[in-house]
Amino acid sequence: MGSSVRNWLWLLLVLALGGLFYWGMKRNPKELPSVLAKERRPAPDFTLPLLPPYREEWGEALRLSDYLGKKPIVLNFWASWCYPACYEEAPVLEATWRRYKDQVLFVGINTQDKEGEALRFIQQFGLTFPQVFDPRGRVGVDYGMYGVPETFLIDGEGRVRVRHAGAIDQASLEGYLKEVLP
Amino acid sequence: MRAWALWFLFFLGAWAQGGLTSPPPDLSPEVFAIARELRCPVCQGESAAESNSGVAVEMRRLIAEMLGEGKTKDEIKAFFVERYGEWILYEPPKRGVTLWVWLLPVLGLILLGLGLFAYFRPKKPLPPELLEEAERRLKEPQ
Amino acid sequence: MTPALLGNLGVSLALAFSLLGLALSLLAYHQGDGRFLRGAKALVAPAFLAALAAFLALEWALITHDFSVAYVARNHSVQDPLWVTLVTPWAALEGSILLWGLLQTLYTFLASRKPLDPWRASLVLAVLFGIQVFFFGVMATIASPFQTLPNPPADGVGPNPLLQNHWMMAVHPVLMYLGFVGLSVPFAYAVAAMVVRRYQTWVGETRWWTLIAWGFLTAGKVAGMWWSYEVLGWGGYWAWDPVENASFIPWLLATAFLHTAIVQETRGAFKAWNFAFVTLAFAATVLGTFLTRSGVIQSVHAFAEGPVGPAFLGAFLFFTALGLGLLSRVSREVRDTVVFRPLSREGALLLGAFFFAGWALVVVLGTFYPLLVEAFAGAKVSVGAPFFNQVSAPLGVGILFLMGVGPLLPWRKPRAEVFRNLYLLLGVLLLGTLGGLLRGYTLGASLAVGLFLYNTAAILLLVREGVLARVKAGLSPWGFLANRRRVGSLVVHFAVALMGLGIAFSQTYRLESEKTLYRGQAWEVGGVRMELLGVRALDEGRRFAVEASLRTDRFGEVRPRLHFYPQMNSPLPAPKVVYTPGNDYYFLLMDFDREKGEWASIRLIVTPLVFWMWVAGGLMALGTLYILWPVARREELKGVSPA
Repeated sequence: MGSSVRNWLWLLLVLALGGLFYWGMKRNPKELPSVLAKERRPAPDFTLPLLPPYREEWGEALRLSDYLGKKPIVLNFWASWCYPACYEEAPVLEATWRRYKDQVLFVGINTQDKEGEALRFIQQFGLTFPQVFDPRGRVGVDYGMYGVPETFLIDGEGRVRVRHAGAIDQASLEGYLKEVLP
Repeated sequence: MRAWALWFLFFLGAWAQGGLTSPPPDLSPEVFAIARELRCPVCQGESAAESNSGVAVEMRRLIAEMLGEGKTKDEIKAFFVERYGEWILYEPPKRGVTLWVWLLPVLGLILLGLGLFAYFRPKKPLPPELLEEAERRLKEPQ
Repeated sequence: MTPALLGNLGVSLALAFSLLGLALSLLAYHQGDGRFLRGAKALVAPAFLAALAAFLALEWALITHDFSVAYVARNHSVQDPLWVTLVTPWAALEGSILLWGLLQTLYTFLASRKPLDPWRASLVLAVLFGIQVFFFGVMATIASPFQTLPNPPADGVGPNPLLQNHWMMAVHPVLMYLGFVGLSVPFAYAVAAMVVRRYQTWVGETRWWTLIAWGFLTAGKVAGMWWSYEVLGWGGYWAWDPVENASFIPWLLATAFLHTAIVQETRGAFKAWNFAFVTLAFAATVLGTFLTRSGVIQSVHAFAEGPVGPAFLGAFLFFTALGLGLLSRVSREVRDTVVFRPLSREGALLLGAFFFAGWALVVVLGTFYPLLVEAFAGAKVSVGAPFFNQVSAPLGVGILFLMGVGPLLPWRKPRAEVFRNLYLLLGVLLLGTLGGLLRGYTLGASLAVGLFLYNTAAILLLVREGVLARVKAGLSPWGFLANRRRVGSLVVHFAVALMGLGIAFSQTYRLESEKTLYRGQAWEVGGVRMELLGVRALDEGRRFAVEASLRTDRFGEVRPRLHFYPQMNSPLPAPKVVYTPGNDYYFLLMDFDREKGEWASIRLIVTPLVFWMWVAGGLMALGTLYILWPVARREELKGVSPA
């Protein structure tokens, strides 16, 4: 009896291995969890210079804590060299911003980019929500960002609720907004 | 070749870390020792010491700054774990869900030792004529 | 006739011949009819020729810049130098599978020439044809190298620049495939042995193939390490990346098999282990391709995810199940009946093999642990180099220890003079380690010094023994060299000890430092003084290069570079490596002043004894070659070189 079980052990092993690998193929290995969103941590604060087109309306620099806890915030990390994902989501972000501008604040964080390139990108898509400039990408590290584009949703209490990796589409963005809007 | 030059200019611009004219900071051997134990977030299985991606460059810079502030290796590693979770550690911590990856090789080695001990211990020695027979058969062409 | 047409024809014919060959050889076994076997054997050469035609068609398409072939459009550019064009067939997935398939048909052809009883001959052919059916089936369906484009572009992007940066990359994949394919022959013989229940002779009959496979795998791994060191610009040679691990696992299992096979050949023991090791080693060769192509695991080497992942997973599971299933059927009959003593040659060989197999198991565990955790706990974790280095060190020490004492132990039970040698060797080990500690080395490095001296002493003792025995018998002492198996294995063992020393020191004493230098500024680090002379940009057609000139006190002028390729997101550093017998000096240009060229960031990595690792790699290949050299077989037949 015992030895017949042992004789079939190899088959169990092969099947288990096959199952594990098959499952591994089905999932997306690049999907990584966000510690901030999982634990609903308070959004890390930052003060970054605004890009020139926004200075008139928003001032020289933007301090996130000035806006935290007042209304929900959509934080979008992007770069002009991030093609095509950032180019796909820019119109979506702009359109949604225009629709929800009274209830939600949108902030774009241009990451690891060159100012000239960033301005060209902004002009191309006519982005009207405030854009800050983080050439070294330090704020990205504070948010546990893997790579551009990534979008974070901060609720009315100033806590991170959602992290979306990759280009964001209209439906997902609206879905997230419903979560954070009162 | 003009297209090339154009491309080159565009490319340099895009690659430049913000196009700052300020050069990167000096990095001591300790920076690399710590960076080697941290995973580069955007890369596919490279450490923060090896990768030349923007995040890895910034991570090395952060490590250098924190070392300058007198922080210890463990504090610096904790800084990154705080933001990225334990996924960022290339050396899995010896607790929780990754404890078993450390224990299993040790357990396996112990089992192996016990198995070999049993294998080598002559429980009931085979009669010599049987052994001779086995040796003789072996030498015969099959 | 277009290249695509010829290629498709070649692939289809190779598949058809292999299918027919598989059917005929299975029939030959079932019916016990020699005519079917002759028919199957007659298909071996045509299958090889068809595969060769397909491979040459791909070369033809590349040389004539036929961009209507999708593979050429994706991996070739008219600007590529000729040598890059010629090696482009193995620069991407489809071409690599074609090369793999071609080498398989070549090995099948060579293996089928060997005389063998008709029962096993038909089974061996069936297995080898079956493997060919898999490869050409994949090429004919999901990964065709000859898919055509309706609107061919005027020029392509060329192969991955990483692959054209060093000539080693042209060699490394071919060596790896020659090794992988080499394991298919012992595997086929093992399957045949288990089916016809003749368990003893197959290891001896496939010794040549096992050695060939081992030699190529070793050379391929060392070539890959060298390439990684000289091209990737991180100053290391081994990253414990999942894909590196996946090609390390077959090497470890093949090494285990190589050693237990000796015991079966001489004492008829370990039959079950040999069946298991050869099955797992062969199956592991397929696993590597699955890992690289399926996106199961994050890796630097992972390529675009394609449909071949599931196919290779299926093949891996099938071969594993075939080998292990047959083994479990006959497990009662292959049990060892002989009594072993640990202090004997076979004891040391078994223990050594277990260290290698255990190492393979640990590498498997570490590589797949993140996947396991994700599947069952839903968490993402990383298992990287620090883990693998820590668990590998004790295993490496165990292997190096057994390697010294093993060949000195006689079969069955130790003689009195063996103990004298043993104490002498332990003394050398102890003194060497103590000497290292006194010089201020870490325990690991000191142990590596001790083990290197201990192994060298063991080899000298063995040579002395062999030569003295000859002199006593009135024979020329040079005759010892004719015992190729012994001499070759001693050369390989010495090389392994040297490699161990190199790995221990390069891992322990590596100095890495980075500094931004302004023009004329000097920097002294790691025993070198350098001064930045300037930075300049060069237009090299295929790429742009930025070069920093450094004046050093010891090596004259050194010029590390950054290469900018149009198809790459970030520049590739082209390090300047200065090898010396003691330390390697690895100069890297990391960043530079884009506006005025006033400054450059230089990284210097100083690593000891890396040079000797490449020497060791060469010695391993030479030692294997010495054993395999055809003269030896003739001499053995003449009875000139009994041990």
